[in-house]
Amino acid sequence: MTHVGEELTALIDGALAPAERERVEAHLAACAGCRAARDRTAAALAALDRLPAPPEPSPGFEQRFYARLARQRADAPRGALRRLPWRFLAPLAAAGAAAALVVGVGLRERHRQAFIADHLDLFESPELVASVGDVAPQDVEVVAHLDELEGTP
Amino acid sequence: MVGDPDAELLLAFQRGDAAAFRTLFERHARAMVAFCNHFVRNPARAEELAQDVFLKLHQAAPRYQPTARFKTFLYRIASNHCLNELRRGEQAARRDARARPDDEPEDLDALPGSAPTPEQEAAGGALARAVEVLLDRLPEKQRVAFVLCRFQGLSYEEIAAALDTSVPAVKSLIHRATVTAAEALAPFAPGGEVLS
Repeated sequence: MTHVGEELTALIDGALAPAERERVEAHLAACAGCRAARDRTAAALAALDRLPAPPEPSPGFEQRFYARLARQRADAPRGALRRLPWRFLAPLAAAGAAAALVVGVGLRERHRQAFIADHLDLFESPELVASVGDVAPQDVEVVAHLDELEGTP
Repeated sequence: MVGDPDAELLLAFQRGDAAAFRTLFERHARAMVAFCNHFVRNPARAEELAQDVFLKLHQAAPRYQPTARFKTFLYRIASNHCLNELRRGEQAARRDARARPDDEPEDLDALPGSAPTPEQEAAGGALARAVEVLLDRLPEKQRVAFVLCRFQGLSYEEIAAALDTSVPAVKSLIHRATVTAAEALAPFAPGGEVLS
């Protein structure tokens, strides 16, 4: 005869499906040992009904909760930023840095071109022209011989 | 969920009805404090934990799907929170034990929350104390399943949903906890040695 174990507790808790309950009750009718186990368990659990009632929350419990809720909501934007995981922040930061670099390089180039336009006279110096990174050597040669070229009809 | 007025309230709160959340708080706050107290046995700390649970409920409300009963949604949050609290307490106790010299015995009565309060002594304190000792002896999953079943009145199906496990697993957890409880509480049963 297979005794009932988990089913016994589930039977006491009213947690068995009808067919299973019938099977367990049929076993109990024939097994004094399992009946005794059921009675012992049910009696011990009945003792829980005599526990003192849990105490009421202390005065001001609800007010303290709503004060905490208000504080939490006030802190929410900062808290949300702090809680953003780095795996999301790192790509954002990298994209931001890349965008800043592109914008920075573009602005620098525009600034350089504006500077050249404003100071074309300076570029009559071959040394200065040579110091500009993207000027071809033949252009430096032309600037070095501007006098000759200007004298040419 | 049909037939679950608390679920309707949470859905109303999702739509912006702040009074609906207030009603849920009023309905469940006391039971939640009692639930948390089974894990910390310190009324002030239990109130803080219960407030934490409602703060989490407030945050999680937009994600609530009406396929779940409100009670299982609430006690899923509460169970996870209390189990984390239990684990934090166990870690702290292990740190304390490491810090304590070997020849200094642990004073169980001096542990926070373990001494019976005057109210407990006056009202069936021995039984309450036996239940506290019982809960301390249970592994954490058995403990939370036992508390949800015996004190909060959740069904096996609701406990399974709250603990994100199967009904057979809950059946097994509750049975094992109940066997331990039957031994521990035998003296308080009719015909036992102690009747509080």
